[in-house]
Amino acid sequence: MRVALAEDGALFREGLLMLLKAAGHEIVACAAGGDELVAMLRTRPADIAILDIRMPPEPDGGLVTAERLRAAHPDMGLLFLSHYAESHYLMRILEIGTDAIGYRLKEKVGSVEVLTDTLTRIGDGEIVIEPLLAKRLVERPRAERKDLVAALSERETDVLKLMAEGRSNGGIAGQLFVTPKAVEKHIANIFGKLGLHADVAEDHRRVLAVLTYLRSQRDGE
Amino acid sequence: MALDPAPPMLEPPAGDEVARLRRMAQRQWAARRDLERRLHDGAALRVSALTLRLGLLSHLHPDEARDLRTAVEGIQDELHLVLQELRDIAGRLYPPLLDEAGLGPALREAAGRCAVPVRIDAPDERFGPDVEGAVYFAVLGCLSDGAATPVEVVIRRQADVLRVLVSGVDACDAGTIHDGVRLLGGTVALGESPAGDALITVRIPCV
Repeated sequence: MRVALAEDGALFREGLLMLLKAAGHEIVACAAGGDELVAMLRTRPADIAILDIRMPPEPDGGLVTAERLRAAHPDMGLLFLSHYAESHYLMRILEIGTDAIGYRLKEKVGSVEVLTDTLTRIGDGEIVIEPLLAKRLVERPRAERKDLVAALSERETDVLKLMAEGRSNGGIAGQLFVTPKAVEKHIANIFGKLGLHADVAEDHRRVLAVLTYLRSQRDGE
Repeated sequence: MALDPAPPMLEPPAGDEVARLRRMAQRQWAARRDLERRLHDGAALRVSALTLRLGLLSHLHPDEARDLRTAVEGIQDELHLVLQELRDIAGRLYPPLLDEAGLGPALREAAGRCAVPVRIDAPDERFGPDVEGAVYFAVLGCLSDGAATPVEVVIRRQADVLRVLVSGVDACDAGTIHDGVRLLGGTVALGESPAGDALITVRIPCV
C-alpha cells in the first residue's frame, strides 16, 4: 500500500518506516507534524495515512490533521497510533469517520503481519480498534447502562466486542468458532435489543450498534 | 538586574502567605505534568520503538523463524506490560487527558473504570494545571474508596470561584479533599443532599 506517516518522535518514526518497508509498503510521505504531511499529500496520492495523536500542531495534532485529510481525500484510510488508548479519543476519532479508520497502541503494531493486517482492514473500509480498548469498553460499561448490556446474552456481548474491534462476520465467526450464520443471528438480536431497526443498511447498523453502545457510555453520565 | 533590598518583615500578611502557597502548588502541579510528558516523550517512546525493531528482527531472519518469532513475541508482550506500568504511573502523576482535554473528559474516563455509577457534570472551560490537578485527584480519591451508592459530581464556575459538589460518597472523604485543595486556598464544607446523602462542597479561588 502507499503509506503516508506523521509522527514527531524520531525514534518511533524511523522504526515504523523500516517495518513498513520490510512489509513491502511504499512510503509516499513522512513528516514530524500534521501540517507538513497535509502539504505533502496535496500532490502525492496515498492509500492510508498513519498519524500520531499527540503531535504538532499541539496538543492533539493527529485529530486536526485527520479531519483535514478526510475532507481533502475522502478515500484515504486513517490509522491513529498512540501511546494511550482512551475512549475519549476513540469517540473523537469516530466523529471524524466511521469507515476506513483505525486506532491502535504504538507498541501493538510491532510485527509485519499485524501491521499489514491493520492496514489492509482499514484499506477495506473497516474500523479497527485496539482490542484492549474494545474489551475495556464492552466489559466495563458505565454502571447506569448496565440494563442495556444486561439485555445482551454473554455470546451477544462477545459478538459486540468483536464488532467494536471492527471485525467482519466471517472474522467474528472464526474468533468464536461458530458459523457465520450463527453470527448473523446474534447480530440481528443485538440490533433488536439496541433498537436499531431494519430500515438502515446492514453495515451502517453495525457501526451504529457500536456507536450506540459507546455513546451510551459517554452521554449517560 | 539589581534587586531592591526587601523591606524587613517579620510576619508576612495573610494575603502574601496565600499567594506563596498558591505559587508552590502551581509549581508542584506543573512539575507533575512535565514528568508525565517526559515519560511520554522519553521512556515510553523508546520502548514503543523497540517493539518495532524487534518485529523487524524476526522479519529479517526468516530461517530461524519459529523460535525467533516466539522469543520476539514474548519480549514484545513484556514491553507492553512495561508500557502499561508507565501509563499507570503517568496517570497518577498527571493524567494526559486532563492536560489535553480538561476536567470533564478526564473525570469521565476515570469514572468509566469505577464499579458504581458516577455522573460527571463539568464545563468545557479550562482552569489551569493546578486547579484541574487538585480537583481531579480530590474527586478520584473519593471514587477509589469503593463508594456504594451512585456518585454525582457537579463542577461550576461562579465568578472567581470554582465550585465542586460531590454527593454519594463517604463524608470522611471531605478531609482528604481538603488536604488536596488547601494549598490553592480551597475550602471544603460538609452538608446534606436533598436525597439525604453527604454532600461535599469544595470552593477553590480561580482567576
